[in-house]
Amino acid sequence: MDTYRLGIDIGGTFTDFSLLEERTGTISVFKTPSDPAHPEVAVLSATQRILAERGLSPKQIRYFVHGTTLAVNTIIQRTGSSTALLVTKGFRDLLNIARHRIPDVFNFMAEIPAPLVPRSLVFEVPERSCADGRIISLPEEKDVTAIAARMMEAGVQSAAICFLHSYRNPAGEERAREYLARAAPGIYVCTSSDIWPQLREYERALAAVMNAYVGKAMRDYFERLDSGAKALGIEVPLLSTKSNGGVMPVLAASERPVETLMSGPAAGVIGAAQVGQAAGYSRLITFDMGGTSADVAVIDGAPQYSTEGHVGDFPVIMPAVDVTSIGAGGGSIAWTDPSGALKVGPESAGALPGPACYGLGGTHPTVTDAYVALGIIAPERLLGGSVHLDPARAEQALGELGSRLGLGMRQTAEAILEVATSQMYSALVPLLARKGVAYEDFTLLAFGGGGPCHAFLLAADVGICRVLVPLHPGILCAAGSLAADVRKDLVRSVHRIVAGDGAAAPILKELQAAFGELAAEGKAWLGSLGLGFAAERMECSADMRYVGQSFELTPALTEEDLADETGAHLRAAFLGVYERIYGHKDESAPIEVLDIRVAAVGVNPRPRLGEVLGVPARTAPASQQRTVFVAGREQLADVYQRVELAPGFSFTGPAIVEQYDTTVFVTPGFAVTVDASGNLIGEMLRDE
Amino acid sequence: MNDKVLLEVLNNHFTGIVEEMGYVIHRAGFTVFVKETWDFDSALVAPSGEIFCYPRNIGVTNMLGMHMGAAIAAVPDLAPGDVVVTNDPKTTAGMCTHLPDIMLFKPLFHEGKLLCFAWCFVHSSDVGGLVPGSIAPTAYDRFQEGFAIPPTRLYRRGVLNEELLRIILHNCRIPEQNWGDMKALLSALTVAERRITDLACRHGGETIAQAITGVMSYAETRACEILSKIPDGTYKFSDYIEIDYVTPYHVRINVALTAKAGAIHLDFTGTDPEVRAAMNLPTFGRPNQWIVLGIVNYLRTSDRTLPLNRGLLRSVTATIPEGTVLNPGPVAASGIRHVTGYRVADAVLGALCQAVPDAIPAAGAGQVAIVLFSYRDPSTGTYRVSVLQPMQGGSGARPIKDGIDGVNFSAGSLRNVPTESIENEAPVLVHQYCLADSAAAGKYRGGTGVVFEFECLAPEALVTARGMDRFRLRPYGREGGKAGTLGEVILAPAQEEARCTGKIDVLRLQPHDVVRITAPGGGGYGNPCARAPESVLRDVADGFVTEKEACETYRVAIVDGKLDAGATSALRATPATDDAAPFHFGPERAEYEATLPPALQDLISSLLAKRPGPVRQFARDRLYAVLDRDATLRTKSPSILAAEMSVLLDDLLAV
Repeated sequence: MDTYRLGIDIGGTFTDFSLLEERTGTISVFKTPSDPAHPEVAVLSATQRILAERGLSPKQIRYFVHGTTLAVNTIIQRTGSSTALLVTKGFRDLLNIARHRIPDVFNFMAEIPAPLVPRSLVFEVPERSCADGRIISLPEEKDVTAIAARMMEAGVQSAAICFLHSYRNPAGEERAREYLARAAPGIYVCTSSDIWPQLREYERALAAVMNAYVGKAMRDYFERLDSGAKALGIEVPLLSTKSNGGVMPVLAASERPVETLMSGPAAGVIGAAQVGQAAGYSRLITFDMGGTSADVAVIDGAPQYSTEGHVGDFPVIMPAVDVTSIGAGGGSIAWTDPSGALKVGPESAGALPGPACYGLGGTHPTVTDAYVALGIIAPERLLGGSVHLDPARAEQALGELGSRLGLGMRQTAEAILEVATSQMYSALVPLLARKGVAYEDFTLLAFGGGGPCHAFLLAADVGICRVLVPLHPGILCAAGSLAADVRKDLVRSVHRIVAGDGAAAPILKELQAAFGELAAEGKAWLGSLGLGFAAERMECSADMRYVGQSFELTPALTEEDLADETGAHLRAAFLGVYERIYGHKDESAPIEVLDIRVAAVGVNPRPRLGEVLGVPARTAPASQQRTVFVAGREQLADVYQRVELAPGFSFTGPAIVEQYDTTVFVTPGFAVTVDASGNLIGEMLRDE
Repeated sequence: MNDKVLLEVLNNHFTGIVEEMGYVIHRAGFTVFVKETWDFDSALVAPSGEIFCYPRNIGVTNMLGMHMGAAIAAVPDLAPGDVVVTNDPKTTAGMCTHLPDIMLFKPLFHEGKLLCFAWCFVHSSDVGGLVPGSIAPTAYDRFQEGFAIPPTRLYRRGVLNEELLRIILHNCRIPEQNWGDMKALLSALTVAERRITDLACRHGGETIAQAITGVMSYAETRACEILSKIPDGTYKFSDYIEIDYVTPYHVRINVALTAKAGAIHLDFTGTDPEVRAAMNLPTFGRPNQWIVLGIVNYLRTSDRTLPLNRGLLRSVTATIPEGTVLNPGPVAASGIRHVTGYRVADAVLGALCQAVPDAIPAAGAGQVAIVLFSYRDPSTGTYRVSVLQPMQGGSGARPIKDGIDGVNFSAGSLRNVPTESIENEAPVLVHQYCLADSAAAGKYRGGTGVVFEFECLAPEALVTARGMDRFRLRPYGREGGKAGTLGEVILAPAQEEARCTGKIDVLRLQPHDVVRITAPGGGGYGNPCARAPESVLRDVADGFVTEKEACETYRVAIVDGKLDAGATSALRATPATDDAAPFHFGPERAEYEATLPPALQDLISSLLAKRPGPVRQFARDRLYAVLDRDATLRTKSPSILAAEMSVLLDDLLAV
């Protein structure tokens, strides 16, 4: 009996299903409209339909994963539960003061995002611990009971608790939770030490507040979905994707929905890493261009994680795959400023009315309209011909813009692409500098609907010499979640100085013990899930800095590093990363370990992925040609169908490769080869 | 591509380059200060000395108005591979405004022709001088503030000037760190050179040169469109900085802003003399970055998509009389000139808002105090220094919304320090860190101040807080909005012997001493009686306004947390009285100006203008003291008073 993996991605408009046959690696994709009011209903009924249509038994589903934007949208749209926050006395404005920065300091009208909890629902509790975990005073039941009464009077549904230094000693928070549960049993409560026990009271409080804010709704939703899946007869536990690129069972996610907030973009990057590595490229810049924005992530061996991500208006310090927006998407609108300069975005035509060429009422020229007008996208080719584009509307919109610019229609279209590309340059080049990426050695991996269309333009502008377009650029998110590992991050703030003089032994022992405890916690959690893993792995790392600094690096630590009691290994791990990023190091200065981290990974069996389905029809594909307008003139471009491109085939730009869900535009100056897995590998031609 | 499109495309590339430079500095920089506070900057500069591209997202971002002309002229015959270093205000004509800012620039050539300069700086954590860190509020000449390097080649045709470097590093307390930071700057210059060369190869040097002038003309046009909407006229304003370290008399910043068909002239005549403290702002009479800061804010607020280059400021000129605090002599101390710079912005905006009332906030806290805590390390006996908190204070209310609580536009790019970090690093227990519970009333209320209270746990600890201000005179409110709240430092706030210390110079603490620092709150905007009752209700619920204040100040009836709409209508039926005033300064300024009316200050100022800068503050203080003691003098006619004061002045300055 063949086994399958089923992945579901619930978006705002559509819910995507991807079904992977484990034996062959074949992926089929389905779409169904989302039902924002009852998302689980659409999921369950479509799952049932797919099983029926394919004649599958629910038992054949051996891996069932699901990603949703429900939690993140709840925060962005501010539709969560009425939430209260309990804080240490004297720190009522934890959320209002935040980290003090005005996001846009040159704008007198700058808007400061209102906290998720209004000041009137922040309650001060007389209690205090010290930095070393010593308790000065514990909360008293009468105080918490009085607060509970005020909360209920105000109609509060959820509460977060964040007391100073609870990352070191959670006793105060736990006691307050207990009192609160007694006094107000119906309220969803979480503590900051439970959600993310890391030093930094604002960010830790925020993690707990976001969790509480979405917690009640997510718990209800996950429970309905899980029991619905069981009712369908699916035996494997339903998994949820996570911001860290891993997955976890939805019942675990229902206690910690904050860990799923950034899961959508993360899955795409995980998928990209898999495809890239399978093709032999471990250093990648992923480039995902959708309707409203173009997003990039850096993969240097493994995807890079950020603890400085944002959800809506708020920072999130829990590790997330690091994805950054660098500019326009296909729907971004081109416009002219008062003095006639051409700009692209940030306003987008979105899916509705969409680009002018969609013929759905959009009249503003977009990046997609420019592709169509230049001949890059053929009007009849989108989604295998199921969507027909109207070039006349694109040309009309572009013509109107052109008359303002004093340019012809096609010159206008090309100008839009030039401006969009240069905007991406202005964001990408500093971004790579910030991350210390020497991109001469990196490959640009394009995916999403628009990535393959624009990647060669961007690579040429920035000077990235290689572009990789996977065989199925449109379903990398699905592929990523179908092959993800179960992954849980654990953190503990330790704040210990590791001097260079060998006096570190007691501290090293303490750190080893702490790592041991975190690893044991992770192992126990993995065991509790009842999933069979191919392997289990504990990835250890530590946030370190020179004493006196206020920014940290997080080198990965091996078992050897941890076993060494002199501290030399630990220091060497830090110094190695420091030198790589900053170009210098100080061998003798004392180093401080702030937080230790363990990622508990339950490795799922890897499915076959990204291999060519059978042998393409022809090894020497018929080359059609069409006229495209590039570099200010008409040129003849070869046009290929992706399904006809066999491994080993090569061609040079200008060329166009058409496929079901996207169009690849190879600019002049690149030579492309089809690799063994069907990926397009474009290499920049060197000037002689 | 037509010219306009190419201009946009190249400007995007330029922007990518300056921001890349910024991140390179941040990444490679050595001192914590660089990384934590982003006190560094990068830019591309035209051969004319004007910045033609400036970063948006990285660095201190307030240097846009800088002019490099004098610094370029100071080093003739620049060649490829040269790198110039300077930190000297005098020989750069106010490009550098205090010594810790070490600036480097490099000429970039294409096919033998100078295209432009790459420029960057870092705020060094020490350049020698009186105190570690080189900035002491009470320093009174430049020589106490460290070494000064006139623009000099650090590299000549790619070869390091090792002798110069040795002299520089020999004269500071942290030579390795400074050289590390300078190497980060050098990396940024190298990156810029590579990028500009790449662009010049792709598009041709002539095209790049045209784009450089093109983007600035474009910015100039855009700025003119905005500035020409300012009604023609002259608008006057004055504000004060407080230098109670050295004198009870405040330092007046006086400005007359003249708008004429898109051109702005700022005349600072009547501004008080240079001071015997580190608050002088060296401009050498030019509209440098600090002088134009308010205008830059106004322009950037008016249009979020403006290109960032000095073309925006071509139509801004200034008259800044010599010997004033804004154009002091060449050896005046200027370590904390940023307080003065913030007040210049408050004054310029105070003038500008009379012309464009709907676009500018009331005054914010207008200060930032970096609270430092030094204590003896019990194991080594040496002093350790920790930053406790940068204290900013609230912003002014805006014509369409409330001010921002706790943070203001002057220093809003700084981040605070988590209490948990403070307590892990320094022997203190933080009692509270919260917003002040009161805000300046208005249709839109001012941003509240911030309260930071801590207990010292170590013996013989020292607290400094450079940059405090607005402790005596409030940030102004606008259009009927009340003046903001004052800053304050209280020792032992919970005790009977609680006392205010005034602005902190150095505070000595022993275990269990408690200090409460309150940063000022911004002014309000508009008549409080026009505030939406729901907003007042929210402020009552949030604890910023009491029910009594709601009734008396806002005329909104709130009883037991509930809004009484009927009673509110009744309260608001009676028309408001004095609240149409364009500015509210608060009672303290009224009291000060009752003794020293502006006209009298003008008179003394004009008498002093003929005297040498460095003696003017002394003379002014003596004359003010005489006027202060003898109220009858103020009743005399101006001509008689002028004559008497003139005689007094001659006596004072007779040797």
